[in-house]
Amino acid sequence: MAEYECLNLRAEVGSRRGAQRLVLDGVSFEVGAGEFVSIMGRSGIGKTTLLRVMAGLHEPTANSPGTDSMVRFGGEAVAGPPEGVSLVFQDYTSSLLPWRSVARNVELPLEGRLSKAERQVRVGEALEMVGLADRYDAQPFELSGGMQQRVQLARALASRPTALLMDEPFGALDAVTKAELEDQLLEIFAATGTTVVFVTHDIEEAVYLSDRVLVLDGSPAKIVADIPVDSPRPRSQMHTRESPNFLRARHRVHEVIFGTQ
Amino acid sequence: MTQRLRLDSLTGLLPLVLLLSVWQLIGDPDSPFFPAPSSWWPALFTLGQGDKIIPAILDTVRTFGLGLLGASILGVALGLSIGVSRAVGRAVGPTFEFARALPPAAIVPVATLLLGFDETMKVVVVVLAAVWPILLNTSSGVQELNPVLLDTARSIRLSRMRTLFAVLLPSVMPAIVLGVRVATPIALVITLLVEYLTAVNGVGALVGEAQRTFQPARVYALIVIAGLLSLVVNACVRSVENAVQRRRVGDS
Amino acid sequence: MGRNEEQSIEGASGDGPNRRNRSNPLGVVVIIAIAAIWEALVRFSIADVQFLPAPSEIVVAAQEEIVGGEFVGRLVHTVGVTVLGWGIAAVVGVGLGLLLGLWPTAYRYSMTSFEVTRAIPPITFVPAALLIFGFSLKMELVLVIYGGIWPVLINTIGGVRSIAPELRDVGTMLRLSTPETIRKIVLPAALPSVVVGLRLGLSLCLVLAVVAEMVGNPAGLGNGLISARQALQPARMFVYVMAAGLVGVVLNAGLRATAQVLLPDGALKDISAT
Repeated sequence: MAEYECLNLRAEVGSRRGAQRLVLDGVSFEVGAGEFVSIMGRSGIGKTTLLRVMAGLHEPTANSPGTDSMVRFGGEAVAGPPEGVSLVFQDYTSSLLPWRSVARNVELPLEGRLSKAERQVRVGEALEMVGLADRYDAQPFELSGGMQQRVQLARALASRPTALLMDEPFGALDAVTKAELEDQLLEIFAATGTTVVFVTHDIEEAVYLSDRVLVLDGSPAKIVADIPVDSPRPRSQMHTRESPNFLRARHRVHEVIFGTQ
Repeated sequence: MTQRLRLDSLTGLLPLVLLLSVWQLIGDPDSPFFPAPSSWWPALFTLGQGDKIIPAILDTVRTFGLGLLGASILGVALGLSIGVSRAVGRAVGPTFEFARALPPAAIVPVATLLLGFDETMKVVVVVLAAVWPILLNTSSGVQELNPVLLDTARSIRLSRMRTLFAVLLPSVMPAIVLGVRVATPIALVITLLVEYLTAVNGVGALVGEAQRTFQPARVYALIVIAGLLSLVVNACVRSVENAVQRRRVGDS
Repeated sequence: MGRNEEQSIEGASGDGPNRRNRSNPLGVVVIIAIAAIWEALVRFSIADVQFLPAPSEIVVAAQEEIVGGEFVGRLVHTVGVTVLGWGIAAVVGVGLGLLLGLWPTAYRYSMTSFEVTRAIPPITFVPAALLIFGFSLKMELVLVIYGGIWPVLINTIGGVRSIAPELRDVGTMLRLSTPETIRKIVLPAALPSVVVGLRLGLSLCLVLAVVAEMVGNPAGLGNGLISARQALQPARMFVYVMAAGLVGVVLNAGLRATAQVLLPDGALKDISAT
């Protein structure tokens, strides 16, 4: 059974009583357990909306009667944030609690569910995984952008999620930090086997990280291509990006987005 | 977007409309505490007091205007001096902080003792109350001045006077305007307060008189007039502020 | 309106973050000089302003009031009413502010009413309060509470509504209950704004208390001021005016110190140390 199943998903955005815009229509795809899938598309196409629907933060719009449609996680319909799903935002500064230390931020999802001792263990593990064990007591504003994003990632991982949804998490970072975090993410992916759905507008990043790249396009948008990336793991910034499999997948994604030239 | 905003604004009036309606229904025009809203307007004109209203409004506006003007001139002059020189700022700082802490209401009896019961006393009190936001905003406006501008003036060898008027003042203008905008409601409130406490003239004096002669409907009516005055004055200042902003489109 | 409260004149001359730790001998010298000049002007009748007391007379009057007069009782009354009224206003203002900030429907169906009512300065309600409650403690307290609610309410609403949507989403993603969301996310995030509102409210409460005491409730510092006025004793009057100012400074400083202790450093960036 696939981790995530989407069939004929339709979604609108618009403020409370203002004009509603149909952003997604007829979106269908699956994500298997333990897969790393990227959702790609140009800015504003609806990638974030799609991710938010999968996270249970945005309600899909009803389809016309007679059309089968669903969003399912672990076999159950998504109605509100599902248990076992963590979301990582692009704006790390705004999603961390500035009045809590790093450790207390990472602890947030565990409060009320685990004892203090267990929480401390989990927080320690999560911070180890992102390489910030030495920043346990730091305040968010003391950290660089890349570090803050790693704290957010640690918080997402602390609850040992089944699926990790990431909304352009490295978009606001410089190229070097971005590459470092990409590799760190791949290590974590290998170590935990978590399913990852990664939204990005960066073609290179999507192909480098994923097992499959889904391309979202159109207005309203739908999945127009599902491109497998056959590069073996573990991947390396230098070698993978020069390999034929990578280039082939990258070429294919380019074709879909920009058309053949 | 504007349509939605307007609708939101209207729906937001619901509690107020409800309150006034209920008040109207259960209120007794002769109640000593809560006369019904419909009795407010007529109460303005009972006992031939109707023709006092407009002169009172004019008196209030005059004191307010003079007070704000005085506060602006004084505030800008002092603010510039303090902003330009750190030594001056530190020297007069504690003295001014002390003066700023004195509540205007408490100053009123002192003012009437020293200056008597006239227009001058009213304006002095208003100036003393309204000068501070203008002073503070002006001096911090000077502090945050782009140093490159001053260097430019020096390299063109502008005289001190010209530097002041052609470079300094225009750059500090937005800060000054902000200070005046903050000072405006203060000036109006203090004007009304002084009038109420001293009964010299103005809307505040009328309210005091109506209260002392137990005319509640008239009191409420005058409160509404004071509120409307406040709205009008604030709207005027805001449009002046916008006009000044528009002339600076493209500025830093 | 916020900038006015947060600036000081010394600070406005840009001394930097260490200014609070450095004493200001020049400033003190200036104050003493002004007092000396004032004393001389009155003593030698150079300034012929009737009823202007010399600083020495004010000091004497202060001694008399505190030791023999009713000063202490009046001081306690004013401070007591101010703090009590402000406390009640704070609870009501924050509670109502949370409600309106978090519940869009409530906000939509009430905000304009609040904006309109807020535009009428609380001072203008003094005559109405006098008519309804007469010359009583109740009148003073009602006025203080009414005036104090507005800054707290408006700033709380503003603080809640300006919380980053990501923070709200974090709460949703973690499936926090409403009380948990308020306790862990909304209140801490809105706290800097709430504190600004509380500070503005405290100043306003003190002013309203003094005004009420001057016209309605024969007690407190305001009453002391008026009784000195009626007795044509300017030195006594100055004592009460300065006392009122001093109370304001002390209360404000006390609240600021409490806020700095309670708030974490990072979140305090909006409240510059003045």
